[in-house]
Amino acid sequence: MAKKTYDLLFKLLLIGDSGVGKTCILFRFSDNHFTTTFISTIGIDFKIKTVELRGKKIKLQIWDTAGQERFHTITTSYYRGAMGIMLVYDITNEKTFDDIVKWLRNIDEHANEDVEKMILGNKCDMEEKRVVSKERGEAIAREHGIRFMETSAKANINIDRAFSELAEAILDKTSGREADADHARIAVERRPSRAPPTRACCT
Amino acid sequence: MGLHKARIRAFEDILEEDSTIDMVTLRSLAFNGIPDDKGLRSLVWRILLNYLPSDKNSWQSTLTEKRNLYKHYIDEIIVSPGGETDHPLNNSPDSSWSTYFKDNEVLLQIDKDVRRLCPDISFFQNATEFPCHKVVYSGGAKRLHKRVEQSVLKFSTLERRGLGVAKLSDESRRSDSTQSGDYAPLHEGREAHWEVVERMLFLYAKLNPGQGYVQGMNEIIGPIYHTFAIDPNKEYRMNAEPDCFFCFTNLMAEIRDFFIRTLDESDSGINYVMGKLSDCLKKFDPVVWDLLEKQELKPQYYSFRWLTLLLSQEFALPDVERIWDSIFADSDRFEFFIYICCAMILLVRQELLNGDFASNVKLLQNFPPMDVSLILNKAVEISLAA
Ligand SMILES: Nc1nc2c(ncn2[C@@H]2O[C@H](COP(=O)(O)OP(=O)(O)OP(=O)(O)O)[C@@H](O)[C@H]2O)c(=O)[nH]1
Ligand SMILES: [Mg+2]
Repeated sequence: MAKKTYDLLFKLLLIGDSGVGKTCILFRFSDNHFTTTFISTIGIDFKIKTVELRGKKIKLQIWDTAGQERFHTITTSYYRGAMGIMLVYDITNEKTFDDIVKWLRNIDEHANEDVEKMILGNKCDMEEKRVVSKERGEAIAREHGIRFMETSAKANINIDRAFSELAEAILDKTSGREADADHARIAVERRPSRAPPTRACCT
Repeated sequence: MGLHKARIRAFEDILEEDSTIDMVTLRSLAFNGIPDDKGLRSLVWRILLNYLPSDKNSWQSTLTEKRNLYKHYIDEIIVSPGGETDHPLNNSPDSSWSTYFKDNEVLLQIDKDVRRLCPDISFFQNATEFPCHKVVYSGGAKRLHKRVEQSVLKFSTLERRGLGVAKLSDESRRSDSTQSGDYAPLHEGREAHWEVVERMLFLYAKLNPGQGYVQGMNEIIGPIYHTFAIDPNKEYRMNAEPDCFFCFTNLMAEIRDFFIRTLDESDSGINYVMGKLSDCLKKFDPVVWDLLEKQELKPQYYSFRWLTLLLSQEFALPDVERIWDSIFADSDRFEFFIYICCAMILLVRQELLNGDFASNVKLLQNFPPMDVSLILNKAVEISLAA
């Protein structure tokens, strides 16, 4: 069995319409690289990255899901175990933004109640094609009490920051998982939860 | 005569038969791999996918009929949908106009996917020798991807007006070439292979409305089209598009239930097939099966994609084509396919037994490159013991 190389294990999930850039965001985060031509995700993909937060080694287990409706039965089964969920839309595509509401409803239906959420408006490098203003992104995030950022996997804007803020929020708020081989659940210090601030980017 | 030459000769002998092709022999030859030479794979797949009948006398009439039918589809669905008077770009809000926009949603998804098809090879980005004339000489009007650019533009214009920003900058009229990397649309009179694939998928979605387009279908049609489009025989190569369309349709008839969410639980649906793979593993390697079970590494983490896409995303294109020779040759089509998937797991059993959950998911989701004949031999071993 692998030796314990981390203090906490966080399970994160990326959701959002097809083509918004979920796979690119994850690839940028895990491999610090961007390629324009990713094959579409079928079902679910998986990556691991270990980050350090407040002196703790945190292993992020990140699931990248397929956006299209057909795959929802497969993908919603992952919601339950997730401790953090990133909802991604594409600032150059109105529909992907409108669908954020649908994805939020999915979370309500399938995820743990205390799951940490964050909305990402991706492709913010494409200012000339923007159709969703940053204000509208911030507004919907505020309305649901969720963190928000605009990101670009291509230009590497806010990608690391998004993941570490989400991880930090989980660390702040709830129990993590100790790195035992048997994945025993151990409660970490619990802090009073506060309304998460909405953050902005690309300013 | 070398072994390879002998194999080619064996195929040629069967295919040159005067009237009826001996399907049993053809299947058993194809099962062991079709040589890359002389367009053999292209022809044999047409037969194994039930496009060309075993009776050679009816080949010519079948081909003529189907190819004409396909032309008809293009005219009807792409060139002049709703007849000449009701031009789809006509702004009046009648019903065919709304169908047009509904179609565009489907098209948008197809467009995204065909531009992400087999990015590791340049084939799909290259121009086809045989573009569809009615499309490529239409000043862009009949190009499917233009339609989605157009619709995005329309929606965004409205949106901006709604916010009081009525300005529509010239910028947004620019083509997508920077965004889509090398999958750029080609100029008037030319068209890239991915555009051809886009057209076939769109026609398929229109003609099979119950099913529409589901992501992953691009990965099924891709290898078939590639095989047909590199056929050294000019007549076959020229008709790669219609022939591929019908072969794809036939293949989908066999696997379409994998793509339909409401059938997930039925005994032709994906859950059932994933279950079969899991049972097979349990039978042939209870130790590994048990470990994966203990690690809560569910079959759908890896086998959903393997099965839905007939392994087309797990291996490089030439290997996929080799694997498909065996799958298509199997008259009990998907029995052997399950054994192939099971063989893959058995071949990495040592790594699995040493790995934890994370490394095992990674391993199975990114199957290590290996000689496919190793996998296929293992699968044969399993099939003999099954
Ligand atoms: N300009 C720009 N393009 C991006 C960015 N992120 C992704 N893209 C492009 O958007 C397309 C889709 O990205 P993917 O990461 O494959 O999308 P996805 O959300 O994983 O899509 P599915 O797997 O189908 O659900 C790719 O062709 C990328 O080139 C970004 O930050 N900026
Ligand atoms: Mg993806």
